Amino acid sequence: MSGFGLFILTLGLLSSVAQSLRFDLQSGHTKCISEDIKSNSMTVGKYSVVNLNEGYPLPDSHKVTVRVTSSYGNNYHYGELVESGQFAFTAAESGDYMACFWVPEQKPPVKLTVDFDWKSGVAAKDWSNVAKKGQIDVMELELKKLFDTVSSIHEEMFYLREREEEMQELNIKTNSRMAWLSFLSLLVCLSVAGLQLWHLKTFFERKKLL
Amino acid sequence: MERGRRLGYAKICIFLSLLLSFVRHLSALSITVNEMECVYEYVLYEGDTVSGNFVVVDHDIFWSSDHPGIDLIVTSPGGNTVHTSKGKSGDKFDFKAPRSGMYKFCFHNPYSTPETVSFYIHVGHIPNEHNLAKDEHLDPINVKIAELREALESVTAEQKYLKAREARHRHTNESTRKRVIFYTLAEYLLLACASTFQVVYIRRLFSKSVAYNRV
Repeated sequence: MSGFGLFILTLGLLSSVAQSLRFDLQSGHTKCISEDIKSNSMTVGKYSVVNLNEGYPLPDSHKVTVRVTSSYGNNYHYGELVESGQFAFTAAESGDYMACFWVPEQKPPVKLTVDFDWKSGVAAKDWSNVAKKGQIDVMELELKKLFDTVSSIHEEMFYLREREEEMQELNIKTNSRMAWLSFLSLLVCLSVAGLQLWHLKTFFERKKLL
Repeated sequence: MERGRRLGYAKICIFLSLLLSFVRHLSALSITVNEMECVYEYVLYEGDTVSGNFVVVDHDIFWSSDHPGIDLIVTSPGGNTVHTSKGKSGDKFDFKAPRSGMYKFCFHNPYSTPETVSFYIHVGHIPNEHNLAKDEHLDPINVKIAELREALESVTAEQKYLKAREARHRHTNESTRKRVIFYTLAEYLLLACASTFQVVYIRRLFSKSVAYNRV
């Protein structure tokens, strides 16, 4: 049983290995990273300020404020002046979710490095739990992961096909609208010219010049 | 007997940890590039294939033509440039990492309008025969599984690229539609104004109060 505990521990340790994105943040500036997440998909994010001086604690000025919002403006996570943190939620609406990082203005201006890892959909699934529940061996776990990846690829294909169909409809509508508008512009031109002629003719007849 | 099983379990853990460390996942993220934006990605093993793509998603352009594109510069931890793309509105890249370490991916926007870039970077590792010889628990089948996983990753990357390009095309189409309608209505208005002006001018030329004799 303790062998299995060791297994889970190793798994747990490894899931926290940094496999993430890093970017620099100047004090007083905001950087936002956004991602398109589909509704009802799980998303997990972890952020931390990188300590460039190993062994020394991070100074107080090296803290960020984080806010995660959906495209409709709903707030999903807020961390004020923290060194690290994480958020996990199931996306209620599909759209662009934005995670904004902000460092308060300081003199002298300081540059922070933030480590950020944001996974959603298939990659966000917690595989250690799946392994624990089923007592399944390594090979099977890997193959399960591959199967999940293939399913998500399949779903994504359907989504892309749907979007492409919508765009085709939009293009057809634009095309027919352009044709109508050109025809209408010809009519407008001719009618305006006709009106001009008629008006000037009556005007000159009235003035007894014609 | 008990100790033997424990040792066996420990070996499985180490093996699994090695296997899991081959997985690198990143979702397609978007950032707004004002002038230069850099992201860093850590490559664990030398010889890993780093693949990715980026697409510039246009903002609502109304007056000007298409944005000329942004540049991508990938720098290795030693300071050499590993890959460059200049003036592209979307590109795929992949290269073999010459050494392990922190790689820098910089997007450079040569123009003043900020652009949103949607990018995806993936670092993939396939254990090779050298690793096989070192660890007897690393089955050749695991190499095949890793290759399969890398192939699926490339499909996923291509899908993300297509999705981002589709979003860009949709933006362009919607702005085209708006512009067509706006320009056509403006054209009608201008035509009507020009003809009214013509009529009014000719009437003025013939009116008695203003220089009748000029005509």
